[in-house]
Amino acid sequence: MSTALAEASVRRRTVNPFWYKLKKNPLALLGAGILAVILLLSLAAPLLSSYDPTKINIIERFAPPSAKHWFGTDEVGRDIFTRILYGARLSLGVGAAVVLTAGCIGTVIGAISGYVGGRVDQLIMRVMDMVLAFPSLVLAMAVAATLGPNLLNAMLAIAIVKIPVYVRLARAETLAVREKLFVQAAVTFGIPGWRIIGTHILPNVVSPVIIQVSLDIGDAVLAVATLGFLGLGAQPPTPEWGAMISVGWKYFLDYWWYPAFPGLFLFLASCGFNLIGDGVRDILDPKAAR
Amino acid sequence: MKQLIAKRLSLVVFVLFGVTLLTFLLSHVIPGDPAQMMVGQRANEETLREVRHQLGLDQPIWVQYFTYLKGLLAGDFGLSIRTQKPVIDDLLTFFPATFELVFFAFLLALIVGIPIGILSAVRKDTGWDHAGRIFSIAGVSTPVFWSGLVGILLCYKILGILPSGGRLDLNVAAPTKITGLYVLDSILTGNWAALKNSLWHLILPTIVLSYAQLAVISRQVRASMLEVLGQEYIRTALANGISGAVLLFRYALRNALIPTVTVVGLSFGSLLGGAVVTETIFGWPGMGKYVVDSIAFLDFPAIMGFTFIIAVGYVVINLLVDLTYYLLNPQIRQ
Repeated sequence: MSTALAEASVRRRTVNPFWYKLKKNPLALLGAGILAVILLLSLAAPLLSSYDPTKINIIERFAPPSAKHWFGTDEVGRDIFTRILYGARLSLGVGAAVVLTAGCIGTVIGAISGYVGGRVDQLIMRVMDMVLAFPSLVLAMAVAATLGPNLLNAMLAIAIVKIPVYVRLARAETLAVREKLFVQAAVTFGIPGWRIIGTHILPNVVSPVIIQVSLDIGDAVLAVATLGFLGLGAQPPTPEWGAMISVGWKYFLDYWWYPAFPGLFLFLASCGFNLIGDGVRDILDPKAAR
Repeated sequence: MKQLIAKRLSLVVFVLFGVTLLTFLLSHVIPGDPAQMMVGQRANEETLREVRHQLGLDQPIWVQYFTYLKGLLAGDFGLSIRTQKPVIDDLLTFFPATFELVFFAFLLALIVGIPIGILSAVRKDTGWDHAGRIFSIAGVSTPVFWSGLVGILLCYKILGILPSGGRLDLNVAAPTKITGLYVLDSILTGNWAALKNSLWHLILPTIVLSYAQLAVISRQVRASMLEVLGQEYIRTALANGISGAVLLFRYALRNALIPTVTVVGLSFGSLLGGAVVTETIFGWPGMGKYVVDSIAFLDFPAIMGFTFIIAVGYVVINLLVDLTYYLLNPQIRQ
């Protein structure tokens, strides 16, 4: 008995304190729960609904929510519940992909900027200042309009707008890591700069970047949907939530369910990410948590 | 502090130069052939050559950039493909509506966001605090276009207490134009019917637009207040018998608001971005709706003119915020 207790106590002590604290945060757990439910629903879409998300059925157009169509149907009779489930894969996946892309590119640029320093650093940081001079949605809109209205370009536009945040973050971390003894030793041994960045700098700057990624995904999901709403993202008949609302809002005074349900899922998903992000911030930034 | 201000001003010059460079790249370099976009796919080679020459696209790229810069300095953003009018004239026409909406949303975000933040901090870990926190997370998670739709459905369709969009009812005459801001013009001309009606139309879009920023501001005020309330000078003040409103507003809030100023500046930029969506939902005849209508026509001069104006406004607001920050912060002032 006492051995079991001791083992349990050791196991408890060896649990990563970050995860331990996160699990103790009810709001973060709520966020994780919301996202888990949405993800499960989207993965189980073929089991939960027998409808095709893109198949047109004019006879049943604008059917209100009922036992047959839980969230009603759209202007060409497609089942909105089914489209939301399939759209979840796209909306959440796209949000995560955008932030991961911006995070990877921004971190590498930031590490190079911080490590190399001098004129290269000045040039990179001034270019980032240029991007930051625009309100993010306005610039994303201009870039997406320039590249052409489709989902891939919308993703690219949002990634471009988000890169400077990661560049600044990684640069600041690199400036601190650069002065550490192990980096100085590597320089003394004549290891080339690109290898020092790859093997010594990047692994040491990646933690704050991962935290920023967790804070940013909710925002990216909303941004992709907003561009979709403005007609600059996914194009119909793609079941992306923003694009669905973009078409649905024209009919919403008579058929409220059309834009209301995709919007509700968008809100819940964004809330889920933000609750997790808030939990992460609470743990890592004691000032904000107080 | 003078050195700091001089450095900040020189940065503004650089950033504005950067803004022109970026809008130039977006409008002249990336889209391929702007002449082709203007005349359409069916135009013959001769027409294309003519348009390219008229637009100066047959010049070296740096010449094109300086021509573009010269045009911008003269307020020439080109001709709108959709309206066939100079973009600057269109933007000037629609600017007052956007400014009026963003101003009221900004005011509401401050008036409601700051007290919520203070209340959350003072009543930490109570029901008030939890409610404030949930309110702010919901705020940053709500898509503006969705809250707009829900607002219209609830307040217009179901309750019938607020209008669904526009700046005025059709049967109400617009006030005589002085500034283009209906509320101000109505007051200046004593047109009380227009004042009442324009305020009535402002309520819903203002609430929808300000919600997310209100959440951001209240969150920042809460964090700053908690930090300040934990400091020693507050404990000293308490030990000296100072408490209640004097301690809260005179001693704590003044210092807590200093870091909030930066967030407020960023919020203003987000409001400008959010206005694009809000104006579309509420049929608000501002620059945001103008640019969304232009997107459908791929009207690049209009899109880039709007982007440039908004970026310049954002840079200026951030400059003012930073200068205010320097003035408010005694550590920098000294």
